[in-house]
Amino acid sequence: MKVLIDLTVNGESYQQEVEPQTTLLELLRHQLHLTGTKEGCGLGDCGTCVVLVGGKPVNSCLMLAVDANRREVTTIEGLETNGQLHPLQQNFLEKGAVQCGFCTPAMILSAKSLLDKNAGASEMEIKEALSGVLCRCGSYKKIVAAILATGRGREAGNEK
Amino acid sequence: MKRLKPFAYFEPVTLAEAIKILVDQGSGAYPLAGGTDLLVRMKRGEINPSALINLKCIDGLNRIEPEVEKGMQIGPLTTISALEQSSFVQSAYPVLAEAAGLLGSPSIRNLATLGGNIGRASPASDMAPAMMVLMTRLSVDGPEGKREFPLDSIFSGPGRTTLKPGEVISSFFVPKMAAHSGAAYLRLGRREGMDCALVGVAVLLNLSPKSGDVQGARIALASVAPVPIRARKAEAELLSGALTEERIQKAAVAAALDSMPVSDMRASSSYRKEMVMVLTLRAIEQARARAEGGNNH
Repeated sequence: MKVLIDLTVNGESYQQEVEPQTTLLELLRHQLHLTGTKEGCGLGDCGTCVVLVGGKPVNSCLMLAVDANRREVTTIEGLETNGQLHPLQQNFLEKGAVQCGFCTPAMILSAKSLLDKNAGASEMEIKEALSGVLCRCGSYKKIVAAILATGRGREAGNEK
Repeated sequence: MKRLKPFAYFEPVTLAEAIKILVDQGSGAYPLAGGTDLLVRMKRGEINPSALINLKCIDGLNRIEPEVEKGMQIGPLTTISALEQSSFVQSAYPVLAEAAGLLGSPSIRNLATLGGNIGRASPASDMAPAMMVLMTRLSVDGPEGKREFPLDSIFSGPGRTTLKPGEVISSFFVPKMAAHSGAAYLRLGRREGMDCALVGVAVLLNLSPKSGDVQGARIALASVAPVPIRARKAEAELLSGALTEERIQKAAVAAALDSMPVSDMRASSSYRKEMVMVLTLRAIEQARARAEGGNNH
């Protein structure tokens, strides 16, 4: 049995046939070939599969693709515009916040969701927002620094 | 790679339709709410549902509805993050927002639902203790109609409920908190984020505005019994009279005696009992501070 769903991914509309047991993660990686979203534990513990649905972070390994029907999904591939990296991506590069890179998409998307609501987020608020994503390299300090710098940059930009 | 096995899939648009499908499909059918627990157990092979009945296409089950002077209704599909972030819940029932903010991680809370958390009947539920001290009642709809009962009586064992085949939680009712009352929920895990509770303690106190005497006391514990429980002996230690240090101590000891934790890979039984005592002490102090702080709950 297949189910037909309509969804928007990174601003593009898709109509996809999915099996009910297909997770959003599998739809993104295997049907749409957006492999920036990673599968770690597959059980909701590691958070590497985080994508934004309606602007909010969710574990795509624990969400059925059918539940993405008529929803707006943002993956890491959707962040750059016209070949320009998103400020978060740029700051992750500049601060050396990426080691192996496996958690990076989830870290950046979780941070994006936070900064979109609260550009002036404190270090504690950033840590809380990232609490569901594990970095086994232990890059947390630089990840938080990159996000703080992005928030400050955004606030400075708004004041102009 | 963790893959889900195939299952029959249904998207009812009314509760009545969902109940009919649940009954027709028999014991292999599971209702699907947030999925953060159900899909994990399926991936681990602990359960193999023959059918999933997705409740999220039913309109109106995810609302938080204040009822003037009475309390609030919460739809079972309300997400944990909606409870955490609702300004109404934060001001009228801070203990609920607090408990919601401790569950899982932000990305889990955006999916997980209150109905799922309670219906799962996990002994370690973060929502149950807070909901219990608030005297939450729940409504269920089933093939034989609607019934309503106190939240405590839905739990019959670890992962088991008193729901009959085909019954679905349709609503939670949380009574308005009395004036001069305050509540707090504290949880101990091995780490701060993204951990299952080793011990969870919720306390609600209602104090006399004049004398400061205890008019009402409710304490609920998670992770220290086969189901979330009320610590009745501890409540009795606090009831009537002034809230002295000595009585708080006695209540904390009684709460530890009320608990019956298991030893497992995460913590020993004796450690958990000790922590019930510590957390109960702290939660009583916090609840007291909130009750004395006027209508701040």
